[in-house]
Amino acid sequence: MARRACCKTGIVVLAGLVAATVNGAPPEKVALTGGRIIPIVGEPIEKGTVLIERGKIVAVGKDVEVPYDARVYDVSGKVVFPGMIVVGTARGLDVANEARPVVPHLNVADAIDPSQLYFEDCLRLGITAVHVIPGNNTVIGGLGRVVRPIGMTVGEMTIAEGAFLKIAISPRLRSDRMAQMATLRETFLELDDYLDKLAEKRYEEDLKEKDKKIDVGPAEARNRGRDLIRAEDIDDKHFNLVRLTGGRVRVAGEDGPIVAKPLGAFLYCGSAMDVGHAVKTASDAGFLDRSVFVLGGECFKAVAELKKAARPVVLPPDLTHRETDPLTGKVRETFVPKRIADAGLLFALVPGPDASLAERMPNYQAARCVRAGMARDVALRAITINPAKILGLEGRLGSIEVGKDAHLVIFSGDPLDFTSVVEQVFIEGIPAYERDKDFRLKRLLSEHDPAEK
Amino acid sequence: MKGSGFRVQGSSSASRPAGAGIRFAMAVSLFVTLNPMLALPAAAQTAPDPPDSAEPTGPRPLAFRVAKVVSMDDRDSVVNNATVLVKGGRIEAVGPSESVEVPDGYRVVEMPEAWLVPGLVDAHNHTAGGDFNDMVYLTNPGLNTRAGIEPGNARIKRAASGGVTAVLFIPGSGTNISGFGSIVKTAGANPDEVFMRSPGSLKIAQAGNPEWYFGGVRRMFMNWNTRQTLLKARAYHRAWEAFEKGETAEKPEYDPIFDDFRGLFRGEYPLSVHTQWYQVLLTTVEQYHLGMKLWTVLDHCTFNAWKVGPIVAKTDCWTINGPRQYEFDRTARRMIGNASGWWKNGVRRLGINTDAVGFGGIPQHELSFQAAMACWYGWLPYPALRGVTQIPAEALGVHDRIGSIEAGKDADFGIWTGDPLDPRSACLITVIDGKVVHDGTKGIRRF
Repeated sequence: MARRACCKTGIVVLAGLVAATVNGAPPEKVALTGGRIIPIVGEPIEKGTVLIERGKIVAVGKDVEVPYDARVYDVSGKVVFPGMIVVGTARGLDVANEARPVVPHLNVADAIDPSQLYFEDCLRLGITAVHVIPGNNTVIGGLGRVVRPIGMTVGEMTIAEGAFLKIAISPRLRSDRMAQMATLRETFLELDDYLDKLAEKRYEEDLKEKDKKIDVGPAEARNRGRDLIRAEDIDDKHFNLVRLTGGRVRVAGEDGPIVAKPLGAFLYCGSAMDVGHAVKTASDAGFLDRSVFVLGGECFKAVAELKKAARPVVLPPDLTHRETDPLTGKVRETFVPKRIADAGLLFALVPGPDASLAERMPNYQAARCVRAGMARDVALRAITINPAKILGLEGRLGSIEVGKDAHLVIFSGDPLDFTSVVEQVFIEGIPAYERDKDFRLKRLLSEHDPAEK
Repeated sequence: MKGSGFRVQGSSSASRPAGAGIRFAMAVSLFVTLNPMLALPAAAQTAPDPPDSAEPTGPRPLAFRVAKVVSMDDRDSVVNNATVLVKGGRIEAVGPSESVEVPDGYRVVEMPEAWLVPGLVDAHNHTAGGDFNDMVYLTNPGLNTRAGIEPGNARIKRAASGGVTAVLFIPGSGTNISGFGSIVKTAGANPDEVFMRSPGSLKIAQAGNPEWYFGGVRRMFMNWNTRQTLLKARAYHRAWEAFEKGETAEKPEYDPIFDDFRGLFRGEYPLSVHTQWYQVLLTTVEQYHLGMKLWTVLDHCTFNAWKVGPIVAKTDCWTINGPRQYEFDRTARRMIGNASGWWKNGVRRLGINTDAVGFGGIPQHELSFQAAMACWYGWLPYPALRGVTQIPAEALGVHDRIGSIEAGKDADFGIWTGDPLDPRSACLITVIDGKVVHDGTKGIRRF
């Protein structure tokens, strides 16, 4: 409970939105009654009840008995929707990328700023989980982390520690593909070399402990030292690379013991031509089965390669790709999500950059897909359960099911209706946002001179 | 530098009683290991003995008769119509004039309308020496400002004219670790006279200026990199500690770059961190204070850093705010006084600094103006005056010698025309180590 109480302070200090919940711990039991529940997994429930206990959903349905001691919110006429998930963004950091190209040892936890307006905005838009990960202007950009937009510290915000490194296959700014790919190859070759030397060193240390003299040549010393490498022997700069390649020590081309939890990668492919390189890089280094492809506008053209790789993809925020034929001048438009969905790939929609008013809403992105002919449930999954699956958090987030964390958004109407607004947000059962108390929004929408109040 | 006179902990002058250094070390260890609020009375009890009488060549003893002494002691004593006796560089007695008898041979200074307040202490100064910043690497653990000290330079003379009597002279913030600072008095002809303690602190600058370092570095990299340097230094300290305790026979190699860090990990001096903005200050507290358990003084602390207050208030960190004293809070849509924000968020170990650099910025003698401005933006006058005297002295661990007007402490104080926090007031006389180092009574020129 202490942790929740802290979070409560966080909400107040950072967003200043939830005056009614300043005092005391959040209620242990919360019931949302009378609303239309869109659970994502399963059919919508009219006039249903969601019951939350200690931050978890414990009952969903039409005939849920509400305990006498629950805090009841009557949401009749409104829609209960899962908290939406941003599958990957560099927002919330001081800067998207460090200047150095290869920084797998860095962690966004060192740079996430809980006071950023972005997180307050997430609440307003019904986003309850954000995977913060370095941007695309990098070679290997560092470790991400999944956070919720409330809490005073990164620790309080954390939903899950990082499981993915950002790797860019498209060249960094002022670089080119040859340099980009050479740097990537070099990084993994250097890792092999480092582990070879480490194995040799460990064998020598082991002999020294036993007061023995070195008895074999370097090649055999490496061979014997492979099994002696422990997680703590690997320095900070190589540790995440070892995790990326499976958490397994690989010396002289052969696998050694597993020393650390494996990591995956968010592979940024800005162009169709990058997809092949991404697949090759990931399979050569042994992390293809933990990879997620982050696609640029024209990557749908590599849909065959993507299909073959059978890995999840993150769509570009600009859903329509436009291309002008250089000879005829004819403009051709492609609606990217349809191509990806037709290929049967697991995909997530992401909000657009901040400058765009509508595209920063995940539900607007989903609505555009429906408008372009995509099935409604396919589009809704792409902003809820799909990102949860991609992040390995489908057991906790992404749908309204018993046992999941209570990340819930109360919409005034259907989430795909342009006139619907987010009225309330619950994060792990904590009432994290109420539109009525959103004074920044009030000022924005007020007809009065805001300076008067 | 080992064995140099500058390295003496808590005591710089040969004339000081032999026990003072040890008592100081005791006070510091109490200060670090116990709740410091509990340690304060202990520190007061172990105040140094009266000075040795054998000082035949010392200056003539002084007696000051003033309207008011704001002592800043633990009882918050204010003595009206008071007499303060000064002998051998120390305060000999403080009390109402009717009860303090002036012995024969004392020069009596009559200032019946003046306030006598402790010498102001600035925990963030760059003017006591000539050099500012050696930007060699992103972390420069081997550097120390004791090499750059310049006693009696024009900029530091002005400090004394503003009633500032001691400063923590630290390297600039161009890199993440720019070296060790030194606590010096603002008057004295040579290094032995001015040094109070060196190292005075380890200076870290988080974010902001170091971002200009070659190639550009940001928070993810800087935090990682600074942590690596401190972890290396801690490993060095632990290796030596294990050897000294006899846990290992393997003698570690002496490394001048990391040797000064040993005192940091022993709690002999603090980390003073140039830190501001919410996320940056939060990292300072979590990474260095809560994570590495270091004695931490937060410097600057401006912009929206005061919003970390509820977290800082639960720690033993010291918060020294300045030179900016306000920010525009985008959430509340109004000007917020930083110090008042910290105070309202429950932070009581709160002081004020100038970050005096000597080439523009806030000059050192305007420390009192910074405290006044903090009050103008909503802070309280008495805590603000405490925030430029006793609080920084405690933050730096030199409160057994300076920070308040009490018998036995160094005779460092200012005699003011009135409340130092009233910008119309001026410091007429500044006394350091029992000597008048600034006298503004004879003319209109203050320095």
